[in-house]
Amino acid sequence: MTGRTVIYNARVIDPATALDEKGGVLIENGLIVEAGAGVTKATAADLKIDAKGKALAPGLIDLRVKTGEPGAENKETLQTASDAAAAGGVTTFVVMPDTDPVIDSVALVDFIQRRAEGVAKVKVLPAGGLTLGLDGTKMSEIGLIKEAGAVFFTNGDKPVEDAGVLRRAMTYAASFDALVASRPDTPALSKNTVMNAGAFAARLGLRGTPPEAEWIALQRDLMLAETTGVRLLADCISTGRSLDAVEEARANGVKVSCSVAAYSLFFNELDVGDYLTYCKVQPPFRKEEDRMALLDGLKRGAIDAVVSAHDPQPTEDKRLPIADAAFGAVGLETLLTALLSLALREEIPLAVALKPVTSGPADLLGLPQGRLAKGAPADLVLFDPAAPWACDRDDLTSRSKNSPFDGRRLEGRVLRTWVNGATVFERG
Amino acid sequence: MADYAFPHRHLLGIEGLNRLDIETLLALGDRYVELNRSRVKHADVLAGRTLVNLFFENSTRTQGSFEIAGRRLGADVVTMPIATSSVKKGETLIDTAMTLNAMRPDLLVIRHGSSGAVKLLSRKVDGAVINAGDGTHEHPTQALLDALTIRRRVGDISGLRIAICGDILHSRVARSNVACLNVLGAEVRLIAPRTLTPPGAAEWGAEVFTDMRKGLDGCDVVMMLRLQQERMDGAYLPSAREFFHFYGLDAEKLDHAKPNAFVMHPGPMNRGVEIESGIADHKTRSLITEQVEMGVAVRMAVLETLAKNAPDIGAKN
Repeated sequence: MTGRTVIYNARVIDPATALDEKGGVLIENGLIVEAGAGVTKATAADLKIDAKGKALAPGLIDLRVKTGEPGAENKETLQTASDAAAAGGVTTFVVMPDTDPVIDSVALVDFIQRRAEGVAKVKVLPAGGLTLGLDGTKMSEIGLIKEAGAVFFTNGDKPVEDAGVLRRAMTYAASFDALVASRPDTPALSKNTVMNAGAFAARLGLRGTPPEAEWIALQRDLMLAETTGVRLLADCISTGRSLDAVEEARANGVKVSCSVAAYSLFFNELDVGDYLTYCKVQPPFRKEEDRMALLDGLKRGAIDAVVSAHDPQPTEDKRLPIADAAFGAVGLETLLTALLSLALREEIPLAVALKPVTSGPADLLGLPQGRLAKGAPADLVLFDPAAPWACDRDDLTSRSKNSPFDGRRLEGRVLRTWVNGATVFERG
Repeated sequence: MADYAFPHRHLLGIEGLNRLDIETLLALGDRYVELNRSRVKHADVLAGRTLVNLFFENSTRTQGSFEIAGRRLGADVVTMPIATSSVKKGETLIDTAMTLNAMRPDLLVIRHGSSGAVKLLSRKVDGAVINAGDGTHEHPTQALLDALTIRRRVGDISGLRIAICGDILHSRVARSNVACLNVLGAEVRLIAPRTLTPPGAAEWGAEVFTDMRKGLDGCDVVMMLRLQQERMDGAYLPSAREFFHFYGLDAEKLDHAKPNAFVMHPGPMNRGVEIESGIADHKTRSLITEQVEMGVAVRMAVLETLAKNAPDIGAKN
């Protein structure tokens, strides 16, 4: 991309600097030259784009995406996921290693990077498997895989049950300053469960995951992070008590950050309603007080990253009795709109609501994007922060349509998305 | 009440029914008890209509009860032989429903081992669906037959103190009964060890007891549940022996209920585990065989009522 492009007459939002003002962004060679009130229609440029007063922010960074590539391309490919990302204003996403084969080697990291380079409109970053085959027994080549470009290490949705293995893997990862992500879960308490444990699950006659499954594993992870000195990302925490534990550990000097799935901020257990399999996710929708506590964390800036937890599942794996249905929900296209809806309804400043999808995750991974700084890549999203719409799963770009937002009324729509200054999505 | 239009297309659970709905079904059930006790046990209200029994989970008494109910009303009754092994995959489940639907049954009686599965199927078919038990969720006709039994033998349910004892956690019968008895104004008590009490059971509108003797105090009716050993995938209890000691119904524990309190059990019973044989077979106090009789009558009432509401399948294109 050569030449200068100016996007003017925008509401410019940069969560990294808490900027929210009228102005524009000037782009040259795919990089941001200037952002803010100083950029106007009068700014010299080869191409001028009128934002018509809509909001312009850094493109979103999503730390938790599953595609089906390699191994289950019927669910989603890197290409379809990146199309969905672009439509959702996500310009960088991290793919989880639980594919088939597992991303637990330099070769697989290389495969993802090459595939993405060929077909993906947005930036795709691989996460490496913490243990070989995610089997929780032998650590993978953490150093080499990191060098190859894996941005963090995780066992995905299969927690490392053996604390000894986890401790050594963390200790080893700390030698390379690698970030280790762990979704806290205790399989002994969560296996064969469908939703959050409690009165509602009992009434529906469904087996529930008690929150202790998350708390016990989180306490273990926090202790091991403390003693090994590793950088830990507590991945997809879903309860208020978990957030308290993370904040307490952080106050005590543990290098811990946390992510929350957008759906955990939006739904509670009652949304499972009439056995809605699209609402069967891990971790499950929790109690309303947990949702409120996490929302409060979002307002206070205590949540480092909000993730889509994008997990495409085809109809045949969802149109089943809920106990037999697959876990997972697509989320790439609803991540931004979910946050915008919450920001509007809960009166959260946009620069605060969008921090955990821009500079928050960028800082965790040490990425230059996710901010409107001079010299940063021009990964941008233009959106109407209050446009009302109704989500229809059949309109989603993802290859799989398993969205819990199906049929929901939401506020906020993506109008245009740029990656390195080039348009990758524009709403027709 | 005779001209009350039952406002539901399916019977998927007791939840969602109001008192009038339930009493309408019970009143019709009363009439069918009389028919069933006469020499010619036949009515033609379902003549020409097709009833399909679809049991994904083994059942003898419920399946037979629906079959007899359907036949006595003059319906063409087909019981699909679905081996539990051949239909395990869920895709096949919906495909089976679609296939059956194409045969245009007016009424489908469905039992399935997964909670919510019957509701799922009800969205895929045109006929009226009757839940004959889904997982650990609901078994509405059991609750209706229990209510009919109590009403006929004990009297007005409103104000009665009724205890439900045993494996409440895994019991769809308990869930349906709590809902039904609450709507009808009974004081419901649940008696079980904590591992077999569902979380939040206290919010169901029932008082929860761990001490059976205290729980039985002043009860008019004691409903025992089958200890569903096949559903136990872990150690919810140390042993059947210990369970019987604390929660099995014997004469001594029954003495804590009202004198002449009645005893019920949805069957099949584990004698010596949740109930002592002498109590189960007690001539005046056990209502267990009468429950079975009421089952046919109440199912006839349900079938007739839903058939009235069922869309005219034959008229479709």
